[in-house]
Amino acid sequence: MTVEQIVPAAGKVDLPTALASVVQCESLEPFSDEIIDFCASFSRSIFKDREALQYPELQALAFWMRRAELIRLREAFAALERTDALLTPRGVAFHIPPANVDTIFIYSWLLSVLTGNRNIIRLSLRVSPQTEILCRLFNQTLGAAPDSLKNSTLMVRYGHEPEITQAISAVADVRVIWGGDASVNAIRSVPLPPHARELTFPDRFSFAVIRAGAYLGLEDRRSLAEQFFNDTFWFDQMGCSSPRLVFWCGTEEDAAQAGAGFLEAVRQHAVKKNYQVQIATRLNRFTFACVAAMEGNASSYQDLTELTVLGLERLEQLGREHCGGGLLFQYRVGDLLEIVPFVNRRDQTMTYFGFDKHELTSFARKLKGRGVDRIVPTGQALNFSRFWDGNDLLLEFMRYVYIA
Amino acid sequence: MTFEELLDLRQFSLSQTEKRAALVPMLNDLTRHHRAHCPPYAKLLTVIYPDYREAATLSEVPFLPVGLFKTHRLSSVSAADEFKTLTSSGTSGQQVSQIVLDRETARRQTVALTRIMTHILGPDRLPMMLIESGSLIKDRRRFNARAAGVLGMANFGRQHFYALDDDMKLDEAGLRAFLERFGSQPFLIFGFTFMVWQYLFQQIAGRNFDLSNGILVHSGGWKKLQDMAVSNAEFRMQLAQCGLRKIYNFYGMVEQVGSVYLEGEDGYLYPPNFADVIIRNPMTFTEQPVGVPGVIQVLSVLPLSYPGHSILTEDMGVVHGIDDSTCGRSGKYFSVTGRVPKAELRGCSDVHASQVVA
Repeated sequence: MTVEQIVPAAGKVDLPTALASVVQCESLEPFSDEIIDFCASFSRSIFKDREALQYPELQALAFWMRRAELIRLREAFAALERTDALLTPRGVAFHIPPANVDTIFIYSWLLSVLTGNRNIIRLSLRVSPQTEILCRLFNQTLGAAPDSLKNSTLMVRYGHEPEITQAISAVADVRVIWGGDASVNAIRSVPLPPHARELTFPDRFSFAVIRAGAYLGLEDRRSLAEQFFNDTFWFDQMGCSSPRLVFWCGTEEDAAQAGAGFLEAVRQHAVKKNYQVQIATRLNRFTFACVAAMEGNASSYQDLTELTVLGLERLEQLGREHCGGGLLFQYRVGDLLEIVPFVNRRDQTMTYFGFDKHELTSFARKLKGRGVDRIVPTGQALNFSRFWDGNDLLLEFMRYVYIA
Repeated sequence: MTFEELLDLRQFSLSQTEKRAALVPMLNDLTRHHRAHCPPYAKLLTVIYPDYREAATLSEVPFLPVGLFKTHRLSSVSAADEFKTLTSSGTSGQQVSQIVLDRETARRQTVALTRIMTHILGPDRLPMMLIESGSLIKDRRRFNARAAGVLGMANFGRQHFYALDDDMKLDEAGLRAFLERFGSQPFLIFGFTFMVWQYLFQQIAGRNFDLSNGILVHSGGWKKLQDMAVSNAEFRMQLAQCGLRKIYNFYGMVEQVGSVYLEGEDGYLYPPNFADVIIRNPMTFTEQPVGVPGVIQVLSVLPLSYPGHSILTEDMGVVHGIDDSTCGRSGKYFSVTGRVPKAELRGCSDVHASQVVA
């Protein structure tokens, strides 16, 4: 069985041979100097690359992987260590990133390699400039890396061949599936070794909460709109952590006033940033709004061209379906805790403005088994962190050896 | 003016002002009718067009996105009055439109189409050549919008000759026999645009087949021909070499059967008296000025059984002029520039991934 290898060197390879090389390799010491050095120089190569400069998501990735951040992660790791249990890598991790967010495969690989694992990554046939740049720089950096790293990293590109997914899964100790419900369901049917574990990242829904009074009291309202714009529009609102619903917290009067001003400010920022959706996305947004209206999933409609706003009269109306491309549901609550009964397992990120840590913590405590995995300030919806979808990814890629 | 009076007028004869005066009240009646009889449509109007008052102009008539007919079966008649459901010809896996017809709407569609076609074909049925294989309409299991379109057009001819075999090969002997028998008087040729080009024209180009008495009616879009870099002008010029000069492309869709936009001698498309087009800005949805491309909205007074009298399509087009055509027709004239390109999806949820192991 041959497959197209991208990393460590581009070319057609025999899959069993390539897998054997990764399997026979030894796992590395978590957060060893050679790993940190490799990741830091990979980060530097992205910063220095002229082509990579034009992609903000690559810059964000390089920033996340810079040496200072890696050292911080090493400290976080050290804090997890205990005297009666040793943290050790799981072994071989098989990463299946989504076809259409170009940097996730590196984030997924990074947390896994830092904790010492060997890695196999499936790249989809959808080639993007961002992926090409990352693979080129990766191979370039790998050229100067020790053999232990060279032999323990494999990236392959293939389409829909189940036998390849099966062969790789058979040697995996951890399998990581990004890409939503459809991918998770499809790939789950491919067996893993009995001891192996699986990390899944299904479809999610995210929302924002803004205290209307706090917004109205703001002097610089524009920068909040800007932050919100970044959260919402960067991936055409298709990122799982991009807000799709705004809760206004406050009196009816405050919420109406704040809502109108805020949405107009967001729209103006979209115009200023020359944000443009494709025509199909625009038509799809209109169709989505019409369907929501017909099915009772919306009570009011506002078309601001760059942004469509659907108002809800009752929270039960919300269907969590979403078209992306600049559509927001809007609902007013008198108090943050009114949101609790609405939250379900699908909810991932809650971005907030105008609430203190104490309020947010008591809100989170009330959620118990319901949902919401991240509560972050407006502007940080898309910031990747080791805490994702309810997991501490550092821990997920390791296991404890108990020593009595 | 009543619908019947409107139909009896000579086609393409209404100036834009006259058309507006005739259509606006009828379209307002339809909006009211569907609001009263199609509850989902009523809900949609309440939410999406909360300030709706009776339209004073054509562009004020509320429009629905064509995609709604793919996800919803919208009906303004009781189940007992449903006569049949039309479906669009989607490839497998694609969602198809579902259009509910009662007898009256079906009748209006037939009468309307006849008025348009007799405008170019005359009152008599002509001998007819179809650039199709005869098995397309025989095979009931594969009966789809394409077959329905062919059958609908077949009504306008007699002595039907299906010019292709099952492998889409031209039946040359049959073609010679047809031309020998009927070629010296007007005859009708019908086919889908790319099939006319590929399976008829390219087979007979430069050979002595005389089609000079033919009237070609064709439809189905330019996508495939654009890929071969064949424009409408090129198409007309090349076919003229086979003697074919009466060439009429038309634009229409299953969501508004009967309302076809027929090409004039100048190569532009013309709305019939009972229909119109509006080109809208793809982002703001406001009406575009003459000459500026946008998304095509189609208006038609035919649909009684489903709320399809005003539809925003997924086609792009441009109005080239109003009431100043060079071929004697009144009103707007326009061209279709293509489909809205499919969106490239981004985001975490990977729509293709389900195929990784499937």
